[in-house]
Amino acid sequence: MSPIAIIYIITAVISIVIALVLFNITKLSAQAKMDAERKRKEAQGLNSGSFGNKPLKQAILEEIKDLVDSHQRRQEVSEKLIDTFGKELEKRIDQNTHALSKKYEAIIQEEKHNEEITWKKYKKVLIDKKNTDAVIRSIAEGLVIVDAQGKVIMMNPAAEKLLGVSKKEKMGKSILENLKEEQLVSLVNESQNKDEKEIELVSQKDDTKRTLRASSAVIENENGQSIGMVSVLSDITKQKDLDQLKSNFISNITHELRTPLVAIDKSIALILAKNAGEVSSAQEEFLSIAQRNIKRLSIMINDLLDLSKLEAGKMKVNALPSLIAFVIEESVGSLINWAKTKSINIEKKIENGLPEINIDSDRIIQVLTNLIGNGIKFTPVNGNITVEASLSSEGKAVMISVSDNGVGITPENLPNIFNKFYQAGERVASDINGTGIGLSIVKEIVELHGGKIWVESVKGVGARFIFTLPLK
Amino acid sequence: MAQNKITILVVEDEVDFRTIMTFWLESKGYSVITASDGRAGVEMVKEKNPDVVFLDLNMFGMDGVEAFKNIRKFNQEIPVIIISAHIGTPRAKEVMSLGVSGIFSKEEDFEKGFALLEIALKGNKKLKGRI
Repeated sequence: MSPIAIIYIITAVISIVIALVLFNITKLSAQAKMDAERKRKEAQGLNSGSFGNKPLKQAILEEIKDLVDSHQRRQEVSEKLIDTFGKELEKRIDQNTHALSKKYEAIIQEEKHNEEITWKKYKKVLIDKKNTDAVIRSIAEGLVIVDAQGKVIMMNPAAEKLLGVSKKEKMGKSILENLKEEQLVSLVNESQNKDEKEIELVSQKDDTKRTLRASSAVIENENGQSIGMVSVLSDITKQKDLDQLKSNFISNITHELRTPLVAIDKSIALILAKNAGEVSSAQEEFLSIAQRNIKRLSIMINDLLDLSKLEAGKMKVNALPSLIAFVIEESVGSLINWAKTKSINIEKKIENGLPEINIDSDRIIQVLTNLIGNGIKFTPVNGNITVEASLSSEGKAVMISVSDNGVGITPENLPNIFNKFYQAGERVASDINGTGIGLSIVKEIVELHGGKIWVESVKGVGARFIFTLPLK
Repeated sequence: MAQNKITILVVEDEVDFRTIMTFWLESKGYSVITASDGRAGVEMVKEKNPDVVFLDLNMFGMDGVEAFKNIRKFNQEIPVIIISAHIGTPRAKEVMSLGVSGIFSKEEDFEKGFALLEIALKGNKKLKGRI
């Protein structure tokens, strides 16, 4: 056998063996964390002579049995083969192991890095959450968040205190459960409405008597679906008490203002009635001016008193069956002299057979006096005012209107005409003035009677105020 | 004139209004006696036995309602007209339900007060034949 053939055989065998070993290593390398040292030992095991189930030397000898005749030569070849193969294998394993451990280290490093980032993020979220919690805890207002089913998902200590419940009791439960203040039920009932709204809750129990204001808003997700509701509760008991104090103060001050006015008015009246002796025509004129202005002042003071009553919800309607014709008669009667000073004619058109209606006649006289008074104010000399009363088309209410052919109201003023403190347009005469609360009081009185009021007007042509008073 | 014999008691704590009332009633020919608070008014009814009382509702100390109740304890006949600055108050409604002869609002004209007075005088049995 020629040396070339031997080398050829050796190369072929080495290739086969290396292929086998590399296949094994590939399998091993799939387990990245496998101990590199163990692999080295395995390789050394190969070197010292084991391959598969057979010893390596035996396997080689068998492979080259037919290629090499001499036994000794076969021995030499096989040993050389093993030696060469062992060295080559060791080199490759070293390379592989190195590469693998590098890879492994890189993976470990990357994982460590990721873990660090995650941890940092977690810590930041934790801090953010703690801060948010602290903010919510420290809010003086009560904060309650409920889910779409009305179950509490968050509640701050202020809310616990205001509602008289503990967070532990309420979490995950309906806000209605075990609520001590029955009035707070409306907190949920009222919140069916999607828009933000404010409601006032008054506790009935004397020992915990207080007023809460709940401002609620629906929480929506990106798709516009409602996923819950957030309510901010504030204790407005003190504010209410202050309102009451203010209201009492106004009530007292108006009484105090009225007392001297009445004394002045009555003193002038006595002189004008000539109870205190003869009065010259000039004296009579000036005393009349004084008296007229005292009356004006009285009306304003009464308006203020009414306003404070309305604001405090204390204006009561003493409804009694009354005839509207009588009420109109009274109202017109009290203003006829004023109308005469401007040569204004007041006409009454009252439908025959109108039924009695349940009204507080003093209050309706106040409404009519105000409306007719406005008519007189805003109608030029020689103008006309018409007061009409008829049954509404459905027959469920009496409709009363006061029309004039005065200056009228501009379209931009119409929507605000019944607003508090609002005064429409320019002052066309010296007697057109007032507090701007007259019509707001009129509206409140009509509404307290269950009626409605509105106005129709064309600028420069006149105005017509219409209100209804329901029969029942 | 028979009217001159009629004595009217004005119970009013506001001195100016008391003076005005006195002047007005005297100008109408009545004899007027006055008291400046509820307690004094009750005593005056006991002592002087007037024919009609004008009783202010809103007074410091014993107010009109209390004074009226006290008068009724010993005199069920005497007509009492309440004087009030504002007749819409709950106290005014309370006194109306107690059976007074009427309420004269301080804001109303004297004519209305005079009409109330005439009705009260006519209803006073003690005065039968005198007016």
